Amino acid sequence: MKKWFLLVVLLGLMLFVVACSDDSSSSDSDGNAGNNSDGETNTDNGGSGDSDSGGDPVELDFWVFGNAGYDVLAEEYKKDNPNVTININEGEMADQHNNLFTSISGGSGAPDIAMVEVSEIAKFMEASDQFYNLNDYGAADVGGNFLEWKWQQAQSVDGSFQIGLPTDIGPTTMFYRTDVMEEAGLPTDRDELAAELDTWDAYYEAAKTIKDATDKPIADAPKLVFNALRDQEEQQYFDEEGNLIIDNVKEAYDYTTKMIGEGLIGQNSLWTPEWGSAMADGSYATMPGAPGWMVGNVKGNAPDASGLWDIASIPEGAGNWGGSFLTVPAESEHPQEAYDFIAWLTAPEQQLKAFHEKGLFPSAPDVYENEEFLATTDEYFNGAPTAAIFAEAAKSVTPVYMGVNYSIVDTELDTAITNVAVEGADPQDEWDAAVERIETQLERQ
Amino acid sequence: MARMNTETQVQMPSPKKKSSLSEKTKESLSGYLYISPFFILFAIFGLFPILFSFYLGFQKWNGLGEMEFVGFQNFKWILTDPLFWKSLTNTLYMWVIGTIPQLIIGIILAYALNSALIKAKSFFRVSIFMPYVTSTVAVAIVFGIMFNSQDFGLFNVILGWFGVDAVSWGTSEWGVKIAISTMVFWRWVGYNTIIYLAGLQGIPKELYEAAIIDGATIRQKIQYITIPLLRPIIILTVFTSTIGALQLFTEPLIFIGRTYREEGITVVLYLYREAFANLAFGPASAAAIILFIIIIVISSINVLVANRISR
Repeated sequence: MKKWFLLVVLLGLMLFVVACSDDSSSSDSDGNAGNNSDGETNTDNGGSGDSDSGGDPVELDFWVFGNAGYDVLAEEYKKDNPNVTININEGEMADQHNNLFTSISGGSGAPDIAMVEVSEIAKFMEASDQFYNLNDYGAADVGGNFLEWKWQQAQSVDGSFQIGLPTDIGPTTMFYRTDVMEEAGLPTDRDELAAELDTWDAYYEAAKTIKDATDKPIADAPKLVFNALRDQEEQQYFDEEGNLIIDNVKEAYDYTTKMIGEGLIGQNSLWTPEWGSAMADGSYATMPGAPGWMVGNVKGNAPDASGLWDIASIPEGAGNWGGSFLTVPAESEHPQEAYDFIAWLTAPEQQLKAFHEKGLFPSAPDVYENEEFLATTDEYFNGAPTAAIFAEAAKSVTPVYMGVNYSIVDTELDTAITNVAVEGADPQDEWDAAVERIETQLERQ
Repeated sequence: MARMNTETQVQMPSPKKKSSLSEKTKESLSGYLYISPFFILFAIFGLFPILFSFYLGFQKWNGLGEMEFVGFQNFKWILTDPLFWKSLTNTLYMWVIGTIPQLIIGIILAYALNSALIKAKSFFRVSIFMPYVTSTVAVAIVFGIMFNSQDFGLFNVILGWFGVDAVSWGTSEWGVKIAISTMVFWRWVGYNTIIYLAGLQGIPKELYEAAIIDGATIRQKIQYITIPLLRPIIILTVFTSTIGALQLFTEPLIFIGRTYREEGITVVLYLYREAFANLAFGPASAAAIILFIIIIVISSINVLVANRISR
């Protein structure tokens, strides 16, 4: 039994190895053949191949996460550049970052273009020798197209190295269910609601009203409430020297756990199936801290809830949650083609399309003035002028330094909040335990 | 090969002696060639990582930058981390809950499959082995849905029929362990059953016939014939499932996700978190080395006990 099993596994492994080596060697020889014909063998007409790079067929591997809708745009790009084929590989955010890290660390397997989220960009910036400096390919010229703080997040301190081009940003708003608001006797109009819930104290009072009237929580995921408050802070987990300054978010934590203690928010963890299905059920009233890219998530999880959701501005001003960059790992054999594609993809016109398609909010301020953009309404969200609302939110966003170890802190705080919400643990004890766990892990960095 | 050919050509005058020698070398050469794929692959994917992690255990490395020698600092961190000890006890608990029932039920199932009473034997044999061929990730995802912490999760609904309150499988101390152990149980029980079945079929029929003539009951037959003759097989399964249980990883990773909650973290998941979530490859390798030593110790105890039993 075991022998057979081993044999099968071995055979599978061998096939795998053969397939891998075959693949890389063939693409290697492609590249070499091209170089050879230019440089060595055809010395008489050497260099002719270099100038018109439009001719040779080029394949670009592109790793994407989230609901970006780049497949549609890649098709469009291919129409104008028939020689370029984009192979999109979609996966979960954490997986894509892990895979990118492993392939860079191992020195093989990285794609031509990789999407990197804002909370991870600092980590990859430390390995900037593993990426192309996009300034060498013309990035410096397009820098002015983007929000300055967003642009700087993907830049070395002295500004000489540009690791990525910005895709979207995540100015936060508050999504809400009109049916639940109506039941609770609160305003259903987005401006009236925003005026009513202008502070977090008012939000807390509204939570009690909703609880009394409908027995539903005002929000279902405690971490989302915490994130909403956290993202309004100018400094979050680390200062620019990399010191842990976690007390900055203690207020957000206390507010969240107080709401949990009074039964005003639910128990769901982000990204779980329960969390997704609750979007369709209307079992809660608001989703605070929801950025543009959340639009695609809500529509995907609750396709039948059209007209029941609406968008208002968030109490006490917007923060930023998420948003990404497109990078070109140093392994790519076609950096120029890869750069040309991502420069096109992040240009204002294409960012506008990504916004219409999946709600990715543009990082190019030119778009904000665009009449067509500002006139965008979304039938799903009760005809809300989504673009105008997010653009308004974007104005109050301030850049935040996230640091290399952001996710360690965030994971442990998530665990603490979940323990308070689900297990009924004591908030202060959980906070202390989380800080201890964080410090243990940071010590090893 | 080419060189050998020329050799035989040159040595034509006395072909008998020489060719028999080169035949021999040829044979052993081709023998080594046949077994080489395993050793080459093992060297690349098995041996090198093992040696490299021993080296890494004494370094500080984030996977990209320069390595820095830190002596035993990594081991000190790991051994003084309460979470590491928690992960070790978790692993042992899940080993007990997941493995021991698995072996007992495996024997019972194998006995049933081997008995003359059951029709469509091959159907049952195949279906009991099916979970083993299923992808672990798929198992963990499906069980994750069934062990949903909400009231509508399948197992909570079933508990509800008996008037038991919903259990938060994803976050409570024992809920997590029971859920993960159930996955392990479901996936491995068939594998052990088939191994036991092979063992049972190796027991000569005459022994049972003689026992029947002597008027033995079913219980006596099991106690005095089946179990003693099955002993080597039982020892084998205890070995493999112990080592397997100490390396429990995929199920908890999928089930508790990237929160690495302490209720369900196992030793391997702990070192995975150190390496691939926190990029602390030094402490991760140190944890791996400690796990390696623990497995050696437990295996030695296993061998000692097994020797004593089979004597």
